[in-house]
Parts: sequence; C-alpha cells; structure tokens
Amino acid sequence: MGPPYGPPPGYGPGHDPPQGPPYGPVPYGAPPRYGAPPPYGPPPKPPVHFSVGVHRLHVATAVINALSVVVIMFVVGGYSLLITQTADGVALLLTPQSLARFVLVMLPVTAVAALVGFWTWWSVKFRIDGDDLVVETGIMRRRNRRIPLSRVQAVDVVRPLVTRIFGLAEVRVELAGGDQAETKFRYLGRSMGEQLRAELLARAAGLPGHTPEAPERPYWRVGFGSLFGSQLLKLPVIGALTLFVALLAFGVVYREPGVLAAALPVLLGLARGVIAPLLMHGGFKAALSPDGLRLRYGLFETRMQTVPPGRVQAVRVIEPLLWRGYGWARLDVTVAGYVGERQVLSSVLLPVAPRHIAFQLVGLVFPGTNAEAVPLLPAPRSWLAPFGNGAAGTDDAIFVTRRGRMCHRLDVIAHARAQSVRLTAGPLQRLLNLGTVHVDAPPGPVQVAAENRELGEARAIVESAAGRAHRARAADQRTDRWAT
Amino acid sequence: MNESYPTAGEPQDMPPGSPRILPHGAPPVPQRGPLPPAPMSSGPSGPSPVPLGGRAEQAFDPPSGMTWARVSPRLTWHRRIAVLLWALPLTIAGAFVLSRMIGLLGGLIWLAAIIVACAMGWIVAELVYRSWGFAERADDLLVTHGFFIKHLVVVPYGRMQYVDVTAGLLEQWLGVATVRLHTAAAATDARIPGLPASDAAVLRDRLAQKGESRSIGL
Repeated sequence: MGPPYGPPPGYGPGHDPPQGPPYGPVPYGAPPRYGAPPPYGPPPKPPVHFSVGVHRLHVATAVINALSVVVIMFVVGGYSLLITQTADGVALLLTPQSLARFVLVMLPVTAVAALVGFWTWWSVKFRIDGDDLVVETGIMRRRNRRIPLSRVQAVDVVRPLVTRIFGLAEVRVELAGGDQAETKFRYLGRSMGEQLRAELLARAAGLPGHTPEAPERPYWRVGFGSLFGSQLLKLPVIGALTLFVALLAFGVVYREPGVLAAALPVLLGLARGVIAPLLMHGGFKAALSPDGLRLRYGLFETRMQTVPPGRVQAVRVIEPLLWRGYGWARLDVTVAGYVGERQVLSSVLLPVAPRHIAFQLVGLVFPGTNAEAVPLLPAPRSWLAPFGNGAAGTDDAIFVTRRGRMCHRLDVIAHARAQSVRLTAGPLQRLLNLGTVHVDAPPGPVQVAAENRELGEARAIVESAAGRAHRARAADQRTDRWAT
Repeated sequence: MNESYPTAGEPQDMPPGSPRILPHGAPPVPQRGPLPPAPMSSGPSGPSPVPLGGRAEQAFDPPSGMTWARVSPRLTWHRRIAVLLWALPLTIAGAFVLSRMIGLLGGLIWLAAIIVACAMGWIVAELVYRSWGFAERADDLLVTHGFFIKHLVVVPYGRMQYVDVTAGLLEQWLGVATVRLHTAAAATDARIPGLPASDAAVLRDRLAQKGESRSIGL
C-alpha cells in the first residue's frame, strides 16, 4: 500500500491512466480520464462510505436471528410433538399424524421468528455523521445513540465460529466507563466490518474517513508449540497433572472406582487452565501499525483487536518460575475501554514470548521508556514478608514495581496515566514503620503498588510520584485523540 | 501531632487554627456567579515533609508549609448516633432471645456487651473524626483519613471525572454533607465527610472548577 498522497507510481505517458487523485495536468496523449473501465474481470466492489447514506447490518443477521429462535422453540417444545407415547415408553415415530401436528405448530412459529428476525434487522441503522457515530434502533420506539469518535477506546472485530462459516463478523466499539458503554454491530459482512473498523479508527484519529487503513508490520507470532508448552509449564498445572495421575494410579491399583469422582474436577480444572487459554490465544499474532498494536488470536472465535498506545493504562510482565529457564514472559495490560468480563478477555498483550520481546513491547506501549533499565530499590525485610519484599523504582516517565518470589511480576504504569497516588498503612504495618504506595490505574487486571516500604520513604515516593505525574501530564497533552 | 487537636465538644464548628474553607466575610450560602478564590496557600508539590526514617505518624503529616483543613466535629456525633441506631435493635432482639434461652443473667450480659461495644464505638468515632483532613494544593487534592488503617490520597484535579455532594437523612439533620471525588480508578476513594453543608457546596464548586481548567483525557 503506497502513501495516500503524492503522485501515483507510473505517472506519465505510455502508462495506464492514473488511478490516484486526478490532480495536475493531463499528460499529452493520455487517454481521457473518465473512460469506461477495462472490460475484463469483475469490477472490484466499491468501498463503502459510512458517512454517506444509512447502513444496515448484513442481511444474514435476520436469518441467523430467526434460525436461533426456531432452534430454541424446537428444543423447548417442538421436538416433543414428534414423540408418541407407546406401550413400552416413548418412541420417535414419524407417523403422518405426528408430522402434521409438528408442522401445524412449528410453521407459525417459524413465520413469527422470520418476521421478528427481519424486524430487528430492519430496525438497526447506523452512519457516521461528522465526528459522531450514530446508531438508530427501533422502528416504533426510536432510540438514537450518538457516540463521539474521539471518546472511542477500542474497536474490535470478533468472529465467532458460527459466523465465520457465513463470512460475517461482529464489530465492537468500546467507550470508557460503565458496562453499557459498548456498541455492538452484530453482524456485518467481513469486508464491511473491517472497513467500518478502519474508518472508525481513522476518524477517531482525526483523519478523513476515506484514509486507507494504516499499514501494519508483523511484530510477533506465538507458535502453537510454545503456547502449549507454556501452559503446561506452570506449577499449578504440573501439580494438578501429578494429582490426576496419582488418583488414576490409586484407582487402578486398589480397584476403587470412587477416585474418579475426585479425578473429574481435577480434569475439569486442567481443561480450564490449559485448553481454554489454548483455544483463546491459539494463532496469536501481534502487528504494529500507526494506529496502535493489532492483535489477532483465537482458534474458534477469532478476534482482531487494536490497542492504541495512548489507551494503555498499565502493563504487567509475568514470569512464572518454570518459564524463567526458557526466558519466557507473558504480558498483561489494563486498557480503559474494557469493563468486567471483556476486561478479562482482552487483557493479554502477549500470551508467551521471549523476555526481551515482552520488554520491547512495553517500550512501544509507553514510548521512550525502558522498563528493564529503571533501577529498583528493594523494600526492607520484615516478618510481614519473610522471603523478601518486592522492589520499586521510577524514572521521569514510568513507575515500576516488582513482586513475587516464585512468579516474578513486574508492574509498569506511566506517570502520565496515573489517576491518583495513595499511601496506606495498616496497624501491623505501622507497628513496623511500613506503608504501601499505590499508583492507581482504572479498574483492570494490572494494579501497581509498592508494598511495605519504610514509611518516610513511602511518603517521599508519594510526593515524587505526584510531582512527576503532574509534569508528565503537562508534557503529554495528546490523549484527546486516538493514538495521535 | 495530636496535641494541636481541639478537645471534643468545643462550641465552634471548625477547630481553631485550621484554615477556613470559606473566605472571611463570605456569605454562608453557596452563590452563583464567579467563585471566590481559593483561600488556601497553594504550594507546588514539593519534597516530602517527612525525613527518611521518620516516625510512623509523620508520614501522614500535611505537605510542607500547609496544615490539614479539618472537618466539622459534628462528624463524631454523626457516627455516634449511627452506632446507637445500630445498637438499639440489636439490644432488644438479643436481650429478648438470650433472656428466653438463658434467663435474666443472659440478657444482662448481652446488655453489658452492647454497652461496652457502644463505648468503644463512641471513642473510635472521635479518633476517626480526628484522623480526617484535607489540603488543596496547586495541582492536587490531598485527603487523609483512617484510624486503624491510615490512608493518604493524592488526586490531581485534572483526573477528576466529577464531584458530588451527598447527605443522608442523619447528615441532613446534623447539617453536614459528604463531598466525593470520582476518578476513572475505582480504588481512588477521595471523599471528605462531615463538611458543613454550605462549605461542602462551595468546595464542590471550587473542585469542579479546578478540574475543568486542568481536565485531560484518560
């Protein structure tokens, strides 16, 4: 993809007519600019302009909605009409009588479902109006929602397995604040969804809507082998596996089938701890683009997520004990837009990667910083944490804390992102002259706290963090627009 | 630090020596129009007022060159009345059940336990009241509170999403209100209870104004 402005390549006589914007003089001998298109090949679909006209979801949405209603009705009551009571229990006998009964009931249900599906599809309209995304729902009772695009926190394209078959995609637009602050487009055609995403991102960044999608550069791809290995190489997983094998061995040796009752929950826990992350993050790819970090992942339900650097609030580098031998790390993140369950679903920036890659990514998320180079001061030893406390350090841009003996966790928050600074000291801590400094981020998986610091030092940390936050905010007045 | 506190039950609303929230001569009712300028000395966030190795209490001292603005002593009474309102139904129900099960002695023991708990609640109410304090700096608001777990919160004005003033029934009867600052972080619990209602309205307006002029995105 070339630069959007400037002369197109191959400009001049003897070449094809310019495809770009028709600025400048027409060269002599060039064919007329507004000629017929070349007759061979199907003409490419014109790009959709969401700012012109009114747009609807994909028509297949109506079919999917209707089908789901029919399936639910069938499961709830429809199938029982096909079952006939016989002398020895019930049987599925397709007699004309039962078929007629079934059709008589299911036909109106299907008709109503089709009508409702069509109605819900018809009632949702959206368009981009200036700096706002406008979504209208309802025909009888109109509901008009205007979303200022400068407030958009993230735009995700999600493709559940069922909709992948139909070539559909769901677009989710996240805003800061509240569980209601999400707008879903369920479902759009795949290319339309990606165009909508590109246009929303471009407009949120203050560019004209027809700006081509920002090019991206592949950054890191997580292979299936390393993902699987990393999920296995965790102390809880190995412990659960050992327990499971021991239970099975016990059951076989002593011919005691009762242990299966204990083994089953362990197996379920293993499935949750190993299989679920595999399905969730399988095929993980991260790419860099000017509008942020693009993540694509998921085996069955694929997600495409764009994380703009300006919206990342805090990151955590996690190094479990068994990963350290391989130099692996995992990267979690708090993004302001996601709330509740979505926060958990979209909190992983890298499921597993070499340590230096993870730290490089932290440097990209908080530009101009190096989290590894920040000198960390260990907290004093005390019997509150006999194995040594964490450590904390700061430079002008970021505040870094390290915690965990077995599983190293390094939390990083940019001073410019800090919402407030708190010092707390419980009764035990005060007895030992200790206090904990929190640098607060919006709710999310990553919360930064320097635990059990000496109280005088803790107060000094509070004052310095508040001062640095003030200076960083004064220097950093760019977060009003997306990623600019 | 505790020496400078007033003794409980002094007639004046705010302890002597504490910076007044309302400027001198200002009418006690909140007014529309231009807000009165902040009377607080607003020093920049400077070095810590506490030397390294200082005592535990010193870490929660006011920023250097400032003193904590105190809340109204009526906060103590708010808490004490709340304790009594909780204790009353507990006493009646517990005494009834215990005297039926054990006899008069059980009821009396229950009564004694409740009285001891109430006395402790009354003492703690005073201690908690004394722990509240806040200071408005040039760029951030500091709030300290807590008797068992001590807290010190520094909230930059630019991070405020909104400020609200609430007053429950008991608070309304006592003529006090709670000012609460909301930021995008749920953990930021910056609230100032027990402000006289008119002061609370003025403080809210001033904080909102400061937040507006320094507002930034997330």
